[in-house]
Amino acid sequence: MIHSSMIPAKAQLVCGTILILVSLSSCSDEPVVKKSVIAPEYTGPVVAWVLPENWGENPALAGPMAGSFHVMTKEGPKGRIGVMPFRESVSSLEVANMFAREIGYGLLDEENLVPLLEKKMIGAREFEWIRLEEQRQTQAQKTVLLALYRKDSQTWLFPFIGEKTLIDEELENFSRFLEYTVLRAGSKPIKALSSPVSSSPPPAQLPPGPPPPDWTIPSHWTPGQASSMRLASHKISDEEGNELDFSVTTFPGDVGGLLANVNRWLGQIGLEPTDEEGLKQYVSPIKIDGMAAQLVEASSSDKTFYAAILMRNNSSWFFKLTGEKTLALKEKENFSEFLDSVCFHKP
Amino acid sequence: MPNKSNTKKGQSTLAKRKALFPWLVPLASLRLTLTLLSLSMVLIFIATLEQVEIGIRGAQAKYFESLFGIWHYPIQFWGGEYLNSIPIPIPGGWLLGGLLIMNLTAAYITRFQWTMKKFGIQLIHLGIIMLLVGQLVTQAIQEESRMQINKGESSNYIERFHGVELALIDVTDPKQETVVSIPQELLEEGGLISSEDLPFRVSVKSFGSNCDFDVVSSKDKRVGVSKEVDQGVGFSANLSIKPKSEDYSSEAMNFGYLVFELTDATGSLGTWLTLSHPAGNHWWKESPKLAELAFQPIRHKGKLWGLTLRSKREYLPYSIELLGIENEFYQGTETPFNFESDVMINMDGNEGRRALVYMNTPLRHEGKTFYQYQMNKAADYTVFQVIRNPSWLVPYIACIIVSIGLLWQFGFHLVRFLRKNSLQKA
Repeated sequence: MIHSSMIPAKAQLVCGTILILVSLSSCSDEPVVKKSVIAPEYTGPVVAWVLPENWGENPALAGPMAGSFHVMTKEGPKGRIGVMPFRESVSSLEVANMFAREIGYGLLDEENLVPLLEKKMIGAREFEWIRLEEQRQTQAQKTVLLALYRKDSQTWLFPFIGEKTLIDEELENFSRFLEYTVLRAGSKPIKALSSPVSSSPPPAQLPPGPPPPDWTIPSHWTPGQASSMRLASHKISDEEGNELDFSVTTFPGDVGGLLANVNRWLGQIGLEPTDEEGLKQYVSPIKIDGMAAQLVEASSSDKTFYAAILMRNNSSWFFKLTGEKTLALKEKENFSEFLDSVCFHKP
Repeated sequence: MPNKSNTKKGQSTLAKRKALFPWLVPLASLRLTLTLLSLSMVLIFIATLEQVEIGIRGAQAKYFESLFGIWHYPIQFWGGEYLNSIPIPIPGGWLLGGLLIMNLTAAYITRFQWTMKKFGIQLIHLGIIMLLVGQLVTQAIQEESRMQINKGESSNYIERFHGVELALIDVTDPKQETVVSIPQELLEEGGLISSEDLPFRVSVKSFGSNCDFDVVSSKDKRVGVSKEVDQGVGFSANLSIKPKSEDYSSEAMNFGYLVFELTDATGSLGTWLTLSHPAGNHWWKESPKLAELAFQPIRHKGKLWGLTLRSKREYLPYSIELLGIENEFYQGTETPFNFESDVMINMDGNEGRRALVYMNTPLRHEGKTFYQYQMNKAADYTVFQVIRNPSWLVPYIACIIVSIGLLWQFGFHLVRFLRKNSLQKA
């Protein structure tokens, strides 16, 4: 056993001093990664998913999409699957009409919808299931499968668009995706109309739905690539290779409001987003078919867009021309004439 | 009354103590005491000079909360152009304080006579030792934080005034959130950070406690580390950052930044940029472009995570609800003479405790003291400064001991003097 007297006094002094100073300077806690479990604080919407192995995620999200996916096949990515939350009222009929034109349907009414719509339980969730088959004779028969999930005041739309064979092959994956995707609205409620084919039977005689709007497209505008979102799609080009893209789209609700839409378009032509005050320099009031609408105009160094926004029957209508700056300027008058030609056949 | 035998007894025990602890004798030197006190004055003088340049917090960290600090003779002083380049080591607060404690303790053991005659002096020195030890412990473990509460709402966490953390929050479960926080010290070390509580690894690309940031028009205009960012708000808003050194002044607005890559078994998930707001990350929500800096979403394996670099946060096992606020002004002026917060502490098991917090009347609860710090009646919120100092009672006890020691010593001499006087008169 070592006695303290066996250690020289000076060595004891040095060791004691060092020990005391080291212990004083190391009083603070060691930094570590910490885990805490707390009561929920996050008030935003929660949408989270596990994708099937053969699905991929599309990085760019269009419009109100919360998620966008495709099926990976040997021939490359195919089909379009989406997750779309609605903050405004939306009925099954409105949703069906958003997609019906793309595959050759006319404007659907309640009566037309009944045979297309069924209720389906997937796991613990009940979905409204709308299957729209291509009405025109084309090489690849397209199908639009719409799954609508309503919970409390929330509505979530899952569109699956693709060739019929692809949709049939992926039905199991799609169902699993619908079953396990986490869906939770934020503190701002997502409102939706109750289902038109709910427990109460439909009225004996439904009033006929309004006819689709008409418009006159300038003759030199050539038909462009159609999609489920576009009611009209055209291309305009000149001899120098400049191009413009024209589209008509409609969505239930205000799709985020005027500022959000304008800022999205400003970003598309490389301009900085604006605020409520700055909005005035881009927006001016116009009339479309006698109804108050807004015309948005903006130009960057090389690009321009003209867009008209109309709110009608709780839906937003977007008429938009965008592309090369000089060509857009030439086509501005034609765009105005097009807007004058829009007719909603009001009762 | 002490007599010669008592004095002799005291001297003999002193000799025994010296023999028992011979190594303490040089430490008990009065010269060492005077040297340390002189060096303390030098330290205070130099730290005061430096405070002009680096602020109170900087001077405190560099000179008082360290074993030594390096000082450069001011260039504007006489001969400064020649002497400024020479680094001069200055003994720091912990070194001087630690040595003073040892010096006093050694003197207590090997120099002081443990007699009733000297009992007052022993008490005075004991009180001073307690003061020094208490201050050292306070410096080492005291934490200063803030708690902001909006009227009608409650808060269950406090945020440090200094220091940040990367918080990764799993918000998928509607019943609870899981927060995994990586402290600033680990972010400063850099490298790959992993935890069993995280489904991905965090690879730190760049971290700093302050930066200038700007929203640029295109990706190509981003500079430095921000060029690498390909995910989140740093990418979508084209945020460009320029690191700069931390500002220690009292008006400082330090925006901490972190560029990091997330990886999992499948490879890289992308590179993010996140910034901390010096007044709290809720302020980001005021800016539409940068609102997501308060919560950058990441979807991973069916879960939604949020990322944010924020002031280091401590969750409390209770919450404080702000019932009302009141501020009073001197009549006819806008000078406040009182801020008052009416709060309810909500504890587990529906237990509650109501309290009024106002100037110089803090709320003490579970080892923490909540002082009224700021208030905004127009915006209906209050801010408490929250101090955790387990040794807060030590200075009070030390002062009582020193007072008793002084009373004893003076009283002892007074009684002796009066007795001697009366004997002489007799």
